Amino acid sequence: MNQIKKCPTDEVGKRSYTNFAHLNGEHPFKSLVPGGRVEYKARYRKGGKVAFFNFDLAKEMGLIAKSHPHTLTSDLEKEILETFSLTIINEYDVMNKVKFPEEDIFPNTFMATRYLQLQHPDKMGRTSGDGRTIWNGTVRHNGTTWDVSSCGTGGTKLSPACNINKKFYQTGDPSISYGCGLSEVAEGLETLFFSEVLGKNGFKTERVLAILEFDKGIGINVRANPNLIRPSHFFGHLKQGNLETLKQVSDYYISRQSENKAWEQTSFKSDKEKYFYMANQVARALAETAAKFEDEYIFCWLDWDGDNILMDGGIIDYGSIRQFGLFHAEYRYDDVQRFSTTILEQRQKARYMVQCFVQIADFLSTKKKRSLSHFKNHPIMQSFDKHFVDCKNRNLLQKIGFKKTHVEHLLKNHISKVTKFRKVFSYFERAKSKRGAYKVPDGINRDALFCMRDILRELPQLYLARNASLSCQEFTEIIKSSYARKSDLKLTNLRKKQINRFQSQYFSLIATLEKDLDLSKGQQLLELTMRASVINKYDRVTGDSITYIVQKVQKLRPKLACHELFELSQQFTVYQNLNPDQKVVAHQAPERHKNIMQNFHSIVRECREGL
Amino acid sequence: MNLVFYSGGDEKENQDLDRAFLELLAKKNPVVTFIPSSSYLSEQEFKSFVRHYSKFKITRFIHFPIDVPFDNIIFNEVMRSDAIHLAGGNTFYFLNSLRKTKLLPQLKAFAQKGGLLTGLSAGAIMMTENIEMAGYPEFDRDENVVNIKNLAALNLVDFLFFPHFRNSSRYDVVFKKYTRSCNKIIYACPDGAGIVVRGNEIRFVGKCYAFSGGHKFIIN
Repeated sequence: MNQIKKCPTDEVGKRSYTNFAHLNGEHPFKSLVPGGRVEYKARYRKGGKVAFFNFDLAKEMGLIAKSHPHTLTSDLEKEILETFSLTIINEYDVMNKVKFPEEDIFPNTFMATRYLQLQHPDKMGRTSGDGRTIWNGTVRHNGTTWDVSSCGTGGTKLSPACNINKKFYQTGDPSISYGCGLSEVAEGLETLFFSEVLGKNGFKTERVLAILEFDKGIGINVRANPNLIRPSHFFGHLKQGNLETLKQVSDYYISRQSENKAWEQTSFKSDKEKYFYMANQVARALAETAAKFEDEYIFCWLDWDGDNILMDGGIIDYGSIRQFGLFHAEYRYDDVQRFSTTILEQRQKARYMVQCFVQIADFLSTKKKRSLSHFKNHPIMQSFDKHFVDCKNRNLLQKIGFKKTHVEHLLKNHISKVTKFRKVFSYFERAKSKRGAYKVPDGINRDALFCMRDILRELPQLYLARNASLSCQEFTEIIKSSYARKSDLKLTNLRKKQINRFQSQYFSLIATLEKDLDLSKGQQLLELTMRASVINKYDRVTGDSITYIVQKVQKLRPKLACHELFELSQQFTVYQNLNPDQKVVAHQAPERHKNIMQNFHSIVRECREGL
Repeated sequence: MNLVFYSGGDEKENQDLDRAFLELLAKKNPVVTFIPSSSYLSEQEFKSFVRHYSKFKITRFIHFPIDVPFDNIIFNEVMRSDAIHLAGGNTFYFLNSLRKTKLLPQLKAFAQKGGLLTGLSAGAIMMTENIEMAGYPEFDRDENVVNIKNLAALNLVDFLFFPHFRNSSRYDVVFKKYTRSCNKIIYACPDGAGIVVRGNEIRFVGKCYAFSGGHKFIIN
């Protein structure tokens, strides 16, 4: 089947959705990094429906016109299905000579990329990569090239199941789950709701372009990002010492970053300069991301394989992503064979990845692979450590509610005051329940005791109203979470000291700005009250809440049209937008949506302190 | 009791009511609490509220959403405020939250002890005996999204209040009919108009209308 020819309005100049034609399996990575991918023929998959289409993202990518209504016209639906509804013809099909109608077979091949994955026995990246994903291609619009890939398009030979069991599987084989090559609509919905919220709140992330639905909840989830390359795309070739492919991946990645103007520097005097610039960029991006993950309680299971994250620190694969309501720093996901990292260990994993990139830069420049430990104290590693701390400081000041200019002033001129406050803030944030670690449905956890968002939201307005500090009892009453038991909240001398320190150092930051910038205390507290009420709003989304919301959406979905699901995701994103500088306009929603949204709010509220 | 009933409208339209509000407040550096009808995007409403009243040199505000749990520390501070403003929105949802949190008697006591209570639209209806006006008339009503049956509200005055009134025969017909069967007065106020209650004295600001015993009266 040829998805370009088949379109009824395909005559030159008449086709409404011409840019979809670029998503035909052709991708520059295929020719530039031949050792980094496997190619598959594909066939049209019948019986699909468009469950969701991201009209806003499609406009940003130039796939539909800016003026396109948020409605799934029959032409658009046809275009989406003819572009994305496909299944690869995999090794099992070829070996078993499975016949498919000639007219259903796409003219181009689609690639699955190779990358390192820790769950593969090989541990070298020779057998791992996209196990159920293919890359549809690229589209370029407004100076940005976008990668588009689809998950659930059939089992490739790079899936863990193939390699652990040493056999090829037919796509959809019910004897295996993850390795069968299929994906579920629910996975796409989780990614959709989570990524749209996190994206709006300043996280770099993959985004969902479309979700196709087939029988029994099976789906194809189409994702997009300006660059879908992950550190793991480099690490396999690094482990294997495959200089040629490693250089190809690096050059390909750098050229895309330049093309998209994602980096300030786009021309380099030497290869050495180019590759070390890349390592530096990765260090900055991962330091920023690791700090943000820690401060926003994002659990992403960063690990040594560099999977689960994009090169710029963007989130990919929401399967294991969670946002905790509190700093549950000892939560570990139980993945049957192993436990995951914790939130706090993510920094070390990010650091390790950066170290690998320094090793890569050195390897590519000198053509000699030196041991990783050689780069332990490389200046780039020091820059990672420094940038991580800088980001932590900046994140905290922003969370308090300070404006950007005030944040910069404090960071530049009063770093010791900021550091002191961060120290006492961490004391409360990291306080743990005396109950100890215990099993939760998908892992283990030890509960955090305090809700820092609550104290940051209430403190400025209480100061403003009464012009006096809080007593230790009052402070505890505000900050305690539902996990805290009486014994956890005992006002020991140390706790009392820390409460007083917290308040005096909070005030000291305000007094500093009062003195330096001539801003009255009252004026600042009022500004902080308004900004902190948005940043630290009572009901912030958590991983659990997304799971329950998706369950709710699944129940409603037989009656939810594609455009309604889009509207709901947009309304939910507006509600979870925690940017105090952004003017938020509530959507005029139909009554039915209002009820659904009320339901979502209750779920978020209910789960706000959980995992 | 000191109460201000706002119907709606923009800053300019409400200048006179704001002046009345400031006269009643009559305190240097007062604390004003903003209670939104729903926490959904209430931070934005709060911002607009602050920006507006900051122009009158009020600098101390409390944002107090009541459909999310709150602690006693902030609640006590709210009850110590000089003025409490009940914001607009869905009146049924608002009443349901006020009832669930047992705030109705607390707010009543606040007003009876001389605290200044103001309300805009849904918030103003809340200060009357019940919120029937929110579901009336059929063509211009709030949806009872929470399905509450008990519509009793703060009952601080002996009249009913209808905000966003448009002077048209459509409204006249239904309000005349309504007041024919009950012995209550409905004060219907267009945006920018409202009512000020100071002790036992009642003052109308802007062009207001009254419906009573099946008749319509123009006030001001």
